[in-house]
Amino acid sequence: MSKTTEDATRQTDDDARQTDDTVRQTDDGDVSLAEGVDHQVAMVMDLNKCIGCQTCTIACKTNWTESGGREYMYWNNVETKPGAGYPRDWEELGGGWDEEGQSRTPGELPEKEDYGRAWDFNHEAIMYEGSDEPLRPMENADWGPNWDEDEGAGEYPNSYYFYLPRICNHCTHPSCVEACPRSAIYKREEDGIVLVDQDRCRGYRYCVEGCPYKKVFYNAQTKTSEKCIFCYPRIEGEGPEGEVRPPSCAEDCPPQLRHVGFLDDEDGPIHKLVNEYEVALRLHPEYRTEPNVYYIPPYAPPQTSESGETVDANRIPRNYLEELFGPEVESALNTITREREKAERGEESELMEILSTVNNDDQYRLEVFDDDG
Amino acid sequence: MTDTTNTSDESTRDESGTARRDFLKGAGVAAAVGATGLGSAQDLTEMTALEVVDDPIGNYPYRDWEDLYREEWDWDGKARSTHSVNCTGSCSWQVYTRNGQVWREEQAGDYPRFDESLPDPNPRGCQKGACFSDYVNADQRVTHPLRRTGERGEGKWERISWDEALTEIAEEVIDAVEDEEYDAISGFTPIPAMSPVSFASGSRLVNLLGGVSHSFYDWYSDLPPGQPITWGTQTENAESADWYNADYIIAWGSNINVTRIPDAKYFLEAGYDGAKRVGIFTDYSQTAIHCDEWIGPEPGSDTALALGMARTIVDEGLYDEEHLKEQTDMPLLVREDTGKFLRASEVSGLSVDADRPEKVFVMQDADGTLRTAPGSLGERDGQHDHSVSIELDFDPELAVKRTVGTTDGDIETRSVWLNLRDELSEYTPERVNEITGVGRQTHQKIAREFAEVDRAKIIHGKGVNDWYHNDLGNRSIQLLVTLTGNLGRQGTGLDHYVGQEKIWTFNGWKNLSFPTGSVRGVPTTLWTYYHAGIMENTDPDTAAKIRESIDKGWMPLYPSERDDSGRPDPRVMFVWRGNYFNQAKGNIAVEEELWPKLDLVVDINFRMDSTALNSDIVLPTASHYEKHDLSETDMHTYVHPFTPAVEPLGESKTDWQIFRDLAAKIQELAADRGTEPVDDRKFDRQIDLQSVHDDYVRDWLDDEPGALSEDKAAAEFILENSEETNPEGTDEQITFDEIDEQPKRLLETGDHWSSDIEEGEAYTPWKDYVQDKNPWPTFTGRQQYYIDHDWFLELDEQLPTHKEAPVLQEKSEYPLGYNTPHSRWSIHSTWRDSSKMLRLQRGEPTVYLNPDDAEERGIEDGDTVRVYNDLDSVEVQAKIYPSGEPGTVRHFFSWERFQYPDRNNFNSLVPMYMKPTQLVQYPEDTGEHLHFFPNYWGPTGVNSDVRIEVEKVEEGAASLDAGLLGESATELESPDSGSKSRGALGRVSDLLGGDD
Repeated sequence: MSKTTEDATRQTDDDARQTDDTVRQTDDGDVSLAEGVDHQVAMVMDLNKCIGCQTCTIACKTNWTESGGREYMYWNNVETKPGAGYPRDWEELGGGWDEEGQSRTPGELPEKEDYGRAWDFNHEAIMYEGSDEPLRPMENADWGPNWDEDEGAGEYPNSYYFYLPRICNHCTHPSCVEACPRSAIYKREEDGIVLVDQDRCRGYRYCVEGCPYKKVFYNAQTKTSEKCIFCYPRIEGEGPEGEVRPPSCAEDCPPQLRHVGFLDDEDGPIHKLVNEYEVALRLHPEYRTEPNVYYIPPYAPPQTSESGETVDANRIPRNYLEELFGPEVESALNTITREREKAERGEESELMEILSTVNNDDQYRLEVFDDDG
Repeated sequence: MTDTTNTSDESTRDESGTARRDFLKGAGVAAAVGATGLGSAQDLTEMTALEVVDDPIGNYPYRDWEDLYREEWDWDGKARSTHSVNCTGSCSWQVYTRNGQVWREEQAGDYPRFDESLPDPNPRGCQKGACFSDYVNADQRVTHPLRRTGERGEGKWERISWDEALTEIAEEVIDAVEDEEYDAISGFTPIPAMSPVSFASGSRLVNLLGGVSHSFYDWYSDLPPGQPITWGTQTENAESADWYNADYIIAWGSNINVTRIPDAKYFLEAGYDGAKRVGIFTDYSQTAIHCDEWIGPEPGSDTALALGMARTIVDEGLYDEEHLKEQTDMPLLVREDTGKFLRASEVSGLSVDADRPEKVFVMQDADGTLRTAPGSLGERDGQHDHSVSIELDFDPELAVKRTVGTTDGDIETRSVWLNLRDELSEYTPERVNEITGVGRQTHQKIAREFAEVDRAKIIHGKGVNDWYHNDLGNRSIQLLVTLTGNLGRQGTGLDHYVGQEKIWTFNGWKNLSFPTGSVRGVPTTLWTYYHAGIMENTDPDTAAKIRESIDKGWMPLYPSERDDSGRPDPRVMFVWRGNYFNQAKGNIAVEEELWPKLDLVVDINFRMDSTALNSDIVLPTASHYEKHDLSETDMHTYVHPFTPAVEPLGESKTDWQIFRDLAAKIQELAADRGTEPVDDRKFDRQIDLQSVHDDYVRDWLDDEPGALSEDKAAAEFILENSEETNPEGTDEQITFDEIDEQPKRLLETGDHWSSDIEEGEAYTPWKDYVQDKNPWPTFTGRQQYYIDHDWFLELDEQLPTHKEAPVLQEKSEYPLGYNTPHSRWSIHSTWRDSSKMLRLQRGEPTVYLNPDDAEERGIEDGDTVRVYNDLDSVEVQAKIYPSGEPGTVRHFFSWERFQYPDRNNFNSLVPMYMKPTQLVQYPEDTGEHLHFFPNYWGPTGVNSDVRIEVEKVEEGAASLDAGLLGESATELESPDSGSKSRGALGRVSDLLGGDD
């Protein structure tokens, strides 16, 4: 079993931040990978740039899950938070590890209805066969992968919502791997991508239960489980043109809110965002699977009073964000605010530059370890 | 179990994995099975038994299976294309083909950067573009010519041959021309920039036939009337990259994150570059969530909010005095007795060096001397005369009140500035708060911040443009950038993006679309509503104004009035690249009054949309991945192409081929019939059907016969004949083959645009006027906030002012405001019927309700509800939306009629109504400032003033309704007794009842 990262409390040795009175005690600045894994792919998603357009969702779908029993699956989905998400209420279904990170926490299988179905429609009957019915799903449609889009919580004018894109986290300490009695799930040595062996898998679905993010899906047609593959054929340059390309959810994202690279690439932006600025946080760190997808937490415009005045109060309750991203949210948001203020004063801010695409060279760093042999 | 069983599992999966559509089964499947078969054979030899894996973390021995997914990441062809849907995106895509079929698409991501200090322009695209490939082989696809066998809309068809279809259409067209009813032939197609060749295809034929070309930008209320009124221009805006140059951005009713997905990045990242972003939306919108401050005014109160902000800027002296003096009408004197501008010709003893001194305006310099305002229309040769400068050699006073000796004796005058200050004094913080609900402090704070930064910009959208008083709203919001001098520089301006209205390559497009140069253009709002019966069903004042406007020739209407004062009905209508029938406001009247007048409706389409479904003949056209064309937009300064990834499916042909073939059929039959040329009653030309095909394919500029037979040649004609792609006096030229390699930035701008394209800089408009001091193309030669047209004075709208919305429905009866915003899930009606998009929604039309409004009515999320007013009632699913203000209802627009049980739609609750101030010509005698020109000036088709009520459809009642058809269901639902159409038309006569 892989080694877990202890919550070390060593202060970072970054001089600039030593003098900062909000310096936090966090993970060791050193990068910890799963034992046996040479490098770990990672992704940082900036929620302040996510507009819920779902281009990532469609890019993923047209690449991988259009047919063959995968129709209902969204390896990449975008959900409105607060909200039930995809599959419905996944955060309440268990899975992951206990506090010590040693024993798995029991998880439940989502019901089919919680994912929603890939509805078929009656286009032909209406358009060409004279039906007077309206265009509708030809089956009961009462839940779907984006059913509670834009709903969120709170009351007008102080309601709040934001978008949360999700893929498999390709965890350092994956509970799906441990859950599989056939050992048919593994982490690749060269990049830490977690895959379900489609030859060995027999569709027992322990992995589906065991994943607290519910990002493994059962394919009833092939009787195997499948999941996000971090577009490994793309990052390997396996296409006819031999070009190394980032996962399609990242490359096709219109606002380019995802950085893709390796966690252990200490010159890369992911390392800076996660380990130096500590503004990129894990979703539900308490599940203890150590995800390798990180999020820049969202800020929002302040609240509005009854008399229509803007008032200095957080619109998104901090405790809600802490539920999602852990106690470090406060510090991460403060850092972002501070750096934005620097930019507003016309000062240089490396962090703001990383988060924008003005200098886009570092958005995707996928070939840094190519010479490793 | 052994791994041998796995082989069959796998091939099963791959078989269905490759079979994208039933009719594609065949070659593609065979190829995929072959590939998989090979892989499986290897698996068999290598894995004969299940072996033990010790630790699958980083050490897994059986990885050959990984080829499974590698084999799926495969293609054998690519072609560059884009989408023609009027989304304003104009995003270049690569279309991937596999086994001769379209597989998927991905953003091309290769727009060249022109300014390294701006965010990377790539990739442009959105989720809808990312699944257009579904349409190519969809169930909805029209694959051969169809003739209706049932009633219009029933969906009953017979398949006919191309020859049959073209013959039937050609006979009807020839009949119309022989009857001298060529002006009863209509062509409706919107937005050239999204595919100018396809636009030109039918427009060219209609032009040769002497038929009517319809406007669209005004009809869809995308046109901001305040821009022609104040700036003398259709619309000019910066490309979206320029947002990043701003220090302060107000997104005002423009839901960028939903409707400008490819451009949103510039707004989002401006926040990382130190810009403050304020969102003004009536809901906590999808753009508001990423703003730094959100202001939520009451719906329809934006004018009062803007004028309140203007009051703060003026009262606190935060305005740009130099800009106002040189660039605006603020120093001009206005007669107190008539409300008209003081004209130089009226002033005793004022020397005027101009041909038309009655169109020269007057101001007072610092010494108290009266001076003529340079650049007045009277000293120019027409609207666009850049030989005259507005640069001042004296210092005019802004605040002037004086008596002037005139040919009418002594007259009291005051400057526009003082008139404006009077108007603004009405908008005290208390009153603004009362009208808008926005805090007294907050709106003033925003105004100060906006005025105090170096570069401030407003992004202006449909949310503030769909109101009856949209002209007043526009003018008030424009006033903020004018007062603060935020025009004509990078990072400034008022960018109104609604509709892909900017066809950069204007000259080439114009010559391709309208080769005769004599265009029978019509304002579609007027044409539609007139023929749908508005004259009998609007209030008497509006009816009189419409009549006056037509009689004076201010607005054209076709078919034109005949010598006997009669006016024929429209007769033939071609619709392509648009969904006119679905998108028509007042659609009950359109269906019941206008549609029956048409003897033949022909729809040219790749999918069966609501207009196609309600047509007589549907012709199958190439999809966006099956033809050559060009793509351009306001949002960027590149041009890039459509090229075919595959051949047109089934029997479909490109738009150009279809209209070319129709021209050929008309020519052939006209020759058979011996049809003689007909004199055009308006233009000095003959309509000659015996040469119509020859004229269609002839290059009229080079007089080269047969040169324009094919789509690609038509696209090249545009590139060759436009200043933007083939500038005069240079060797540079953009060719079609070059942009197939990579999109290119336009080289220069023709005189149609108000700034140059400068290397290394994002395009920002108005430099011609602000920096180069050319006269603005207005009556006064300045940004003109005071309009002294008789009708404006009569309605007390000479200056921007807040007015209450007209009462279309009483609030007591219909308590909820009704709004039909653009959704992220469709571009107009395109993708509304996409299974992939519907699966990420609720599969059917929804209405967004505030939780309080829902609870009050016993409505829960997911319930079926009836949304109704005096016009009609539509049945949809309720969705709870806490971010909508109580009392407001959002029914996202553009669901197809066939998505509603009663085959009505979101527009069925919208009456026909229009505002008389948009029917004028100005100056009244010559119209050089405001005159009808399709899509530049004409009445807008507005829809935001509508009120409704919502009620739950009880279970059982819903199924009852579903079982009832047509009239009986309507009677059950209609709150008005009597027929649906009486309800639709009757109440409109109260139109101006609530107006002040």
